[in-house]
Amino acid sequence: MKETKTLIQVANTIQEALIKLKNERYLELLNQLTTFAGQLQEITAESKKMGASLVHGWFFAVDRCCNSVSRLLNDIPYCVSRIQQLTEAPRKEMPKLSLLVGELNQVKQEFGNIDFDKAENTISVVTEPITLEDVYLGPFKIQLELSRLSELYKSCIYHVIALDPNPAATDEVVTHPHVSNERLCEGDGAVAIRASLEQGRLSDFFTMVRSILNTYNPDSPYISLYDWDGEPCYDCGYVMSRENTYYCSFCDRDFCEECSTYCPSCDETMCLGCAGRCEVCEEPICSNCACSCAECGSICCESCLDEDLCPDCKKEMEKENEEQENQITTTNENKSQNQPGTDNTEIKLSS
Amino acid sequence: MRILFIDNDGAGFADYIDIAENTNVEQFFAIKMQGRQANDYMIRVNRQPVSRDYVLQEGDRVTITPTKIEGALL
Repeated sequence: MKETKTLIQVANTIQEALIKLKNERYLELLNQLTTFAGQLQEITAESKKMGASLVHGWFFAVDRCCNSVSRLLNDIPYCVSRIQQLTEAPRKEMPKLSLLVGELNQVKQEFGNIDFDKAENTISVVTEPITLEDVYLGPFKIQLELSRLSELYKSCIYHVIALDPNPAATDEVVTHPHVSNERLCEGDGAVAIRASLEQGRLSDFFTMVRSILNTYNPDSPYISLYDWDGEPCYDCGYVMSRENTYYCSFCDRDFCEECSTYCPSCDETMCLGCAGRCEVCEEPICSNCACSCAECGSICCESCLDEDLCPDCKKEMEKENEEQENQITTTNENKSQNQPGTDNTEIKLSS
Repeated sequence: MRILFIDNDGAGFADYIDIAENTNVEQFFAIKMQGRQANDYMIRVNRQPVSRDYVLQEGDRVTITPTKIEGALL
């Protein structure tokens, strides 16, 4: 008896909300019609101006009228489409209280139980535990806010709450490939869900939401099941999605962005552990591209070596060469000064 | 005879339609859901599960809801 009374009270709440929803749609239709009428009035006014301008031969004014009419015509298709949508909305009679009670009983039958929260003014059902492609996601509570039923076309009025959450490793608010922040991405079910709620077909609503939860669409998830558990960085352990991993071919491991780098010489990705560093330019360098100075043995990239020498050794060598050359030049000069010169001495021959 | 048909597939449909007398559930599904597999749908008549050979009566309410609906990012 008490249960029946509760059912009737809830059904009454739903009916009131649906009446409010219907009123809101008619109000919006009225607004759109008013806007449309206003646009037609403006076009009529422009048309009269154009006529007067033509009579007086004011062609510049005619052009301006044409532009205004063109602008107004651009807005009309959207307005007409919106009006059509609102007038074609199901003009069914309001569901009777007995029908709504029947719906609530059917929900109970389909889901085993239905919870009414009087304080929050919600009704909820719980699905069976859901597993998609061997990934356990747990049972979900589908919670419909009755007081917000009139906002059906403005916002999401129900929540999908994970009761034994196994969220995606890279985003804890994604508890299901198609649920984020307790909001379901309805996809193919969006229109039918709205229609079922507007007509008070609660059982159809909960059943369709459950169908979406039981179906995996690999083409458009928040996070794919393939990436659900993520991939930990071999170095720091940070869990990332597979598409954000960096593979080091030198140690054959996956790393995160922070723990990896690349060799500018060959563009090869490598982890920080396998990366060397050029002692000249301090850029990272892989073991394949690393060269050593022939003189001091320091590790450098090819571009920093000149004739197999690092800049310091090269400079040193040049300095030595210069010194040697200077020495040679000085020695030559000294030699030529000490020996009798043949250039300027007169040779006197005896007669 | 007239029945109430609620189709929750696609955009949804909910209205009274006329069907031939002695049409059973299996035949009705084959007519209305051509090319679809009955196993992919939840079929209820007057809110109850029924066998495929149940013969529809005047005023029956038939609901067909897909068990698999793809969610998607908008």
